[in-house]
Order: sequence, then C-alpha cells, then structure tokens
Amino acid sequence: MFVKFSLVRQAVILAALAILPGTGEAIYFRDKISWRSSILPSELVTVDQARTWAGNVIWVDARPDEEFARDHLPGALSLNEDRWNELLPQFLAVWSPGKKVVVYCSSLSCNASREVARRLRKEAQLSDVFVLKGGWEAWLKKR
Amino acid sequence: MGSVAQEEMSKTPNAQLSTSNVQLSGDASTSNIKNRTSNILRRIVDLIVAGVFIYAGAIKALDPVQFASDIDNYKIFPWPISVALAFYLPWLEIFCGFALVVRLLYRGALSILTTLILTFTLVTIAAKVRGLDITCGCFGHASQNWSFPSHLATNLGILVALLALWFRGAPNGKRSD
Repeated sequence: MFVKFSLVRQAVILAALAILPGTGEAIYFRDKISWRSSILPSELVTVDQARTWAGNVIWVDARPDEEFARDHLPGALSLNEDRWNELLPQFLAVWSPGKKVVVYCSSLSCNASREVARRLRKEAQLSDVFVLKGGWEAWLKKR
Repeated sequence: MGSVAQEEMSKTPNAQLSTSNVQLSGDASTSNIKNRTSNILRRIVDLIVAGVFIYAGAIKALDPVQFASDIDNYKIFPWPISVALAFYLPWLEIFCGFALVVRLLYRGALSILTTLILTFTLVTIAAKVRGLDITCGCFGHASQNWSFPSHLATNLGILVALLALWFRGAPNGKRSD
C-alpha cells in the first residue's frame, strides 16, 4: 500500500488527477456560468432596458438598510442579506407571477445584487430576476 | 515472577539470559500496545480529516457556480481564475481526502491539504483585515452564516490535525513516501 514516491511527485500526481474531473465539470456547467463575467449576460439588464418594463417590474434594493434609507429608486423594496429572513416575506407579498425583478446595489463592482438575485432564483424559485448593470450609480447618471 | 526469576538468575547464567528475555518481551508487548493505540488514534484522525475534506469538496463540487462567487467575494483573483479554481479545488480536496483514507500518495495529500488550509486561513484573515464581509464558502451553504471566529477556529483545528499527522508519521514507524 505504501508507494515509494517522493513527496513532490505524490503531490503533483494528486494535483494532476484533480484536473480531469474539474475539466469535466467545467464542460458540464458551461451554460450555467460565464468565464468572462460573474453574472451571465442574460441576467444583466441596463437602466434603459429596465425602464421599458415600466409597470411590470419590481425594483429590489440589495444595499444595506442605511443606504436604502438615505435614498433609493422610486418604489424600490429593500431586500438585503443582513435581514433576508425578515425582508423576503415582504417582497413576496408584493411579487406576482409574470413580474420582472431587477436587483441593484451600489455600483458596478458590488456583489450584493448578484447574491440577492441568485438567492431569489434559488430559494424563492423565481425566474425573471435580473441584475441592474452599474447599480445605483448607473441609475443616478441616467436620472 | 520477579523473585523466582532472581533466584534462577543467581543459579545459572542461562537463567539470567531467560529473565532478560522475559523483561524484554514484557517491554515489547507494552510498546506494542502503545504503538497499536497510537496507530488507532492516528487512523481516527486520518479518517476525520479525510471526511472533512471529502465532504467540503463534494458540497462545493455540486455547486461550482456558488463556489466561484464565494472565491470572487475575496477580491483576490480576477473572475476567470475564480471560476477555474471553483472547478478545480473541490476535486483536489476530494482526491487528497481519499488518498488519506486509502493511505496511497499519503504524504503528497498531507502536503497539499496543509498548503490549502494554510492558504484558506491566511486569505480569511486578509479578508477580515480588509474589512470584507464574506461567507467563507468552505462548506457551501452549511457555512454561510459562520462567524469569522468559528471559521478561523475550524481552519486552525484542521491545521492542528494535519500537523499531528505529519509529525506522527505513518503507522508502525513506516513512512508512506
């Protein structure tokens, strides 16, 4: 059972072996993840695009409570990860089938909107959930 | 037993020889029991560490999209590297875990796992210092609400177990490399 390999050779063999299933998995998940951006292009929406959905869209503010209290998009609902369990029922009470959900956070580099959108898709089983490209900053520029 | 042996010892040199043999065999059996206990303990630690890494790897391998996002949250690598790591690291953990179980490529697996856990710990501390509020992603959703101290304590616990396996060597004094 005890193979006479040097430590480095053993480590290299293990490291090389792990490439095989990793590559297989990358091929299997090729449609579910983008190598270019953390958000699939189909899940991103610009301010202009989202505006054309007027009346059929729910804006979700994924920023912390203080930032939401300071200012937010007209009619937006607060839904952040800090108070997820508390805020999700309030969001679901407003949501109805067929409505598009657009989640935003502070800027292009923030992750909160992506996380909230992912959880809405996964945990609340919603399908039409989008992330606002550029977030709150992009909205301010276009206001 | 001791006094009879001493009497025999005083009578003939051969008796002295047989007494030392009795003592030697007594010492040897005590040492054997100690060795066996130590081997069993080491095997238990082996299996626990292997189980932790196989479980952690499997959970992340099942949801690489989430794991890529968790890696990206640390703001260390560009997105494509995070994706590549999300596909690769879980399998590395699983393979190394199985290597500990079957004791094949054992020290190679120990060296990789020690490097991984040291890296994870340093990266976690760095993220905390930089003020990043992140979920560690170590055990997928199971670790989503872990606080920084519990995250750090788990990592350090695993590190101590790995170091114990390093310094205790392979069973019966054999080295597996």
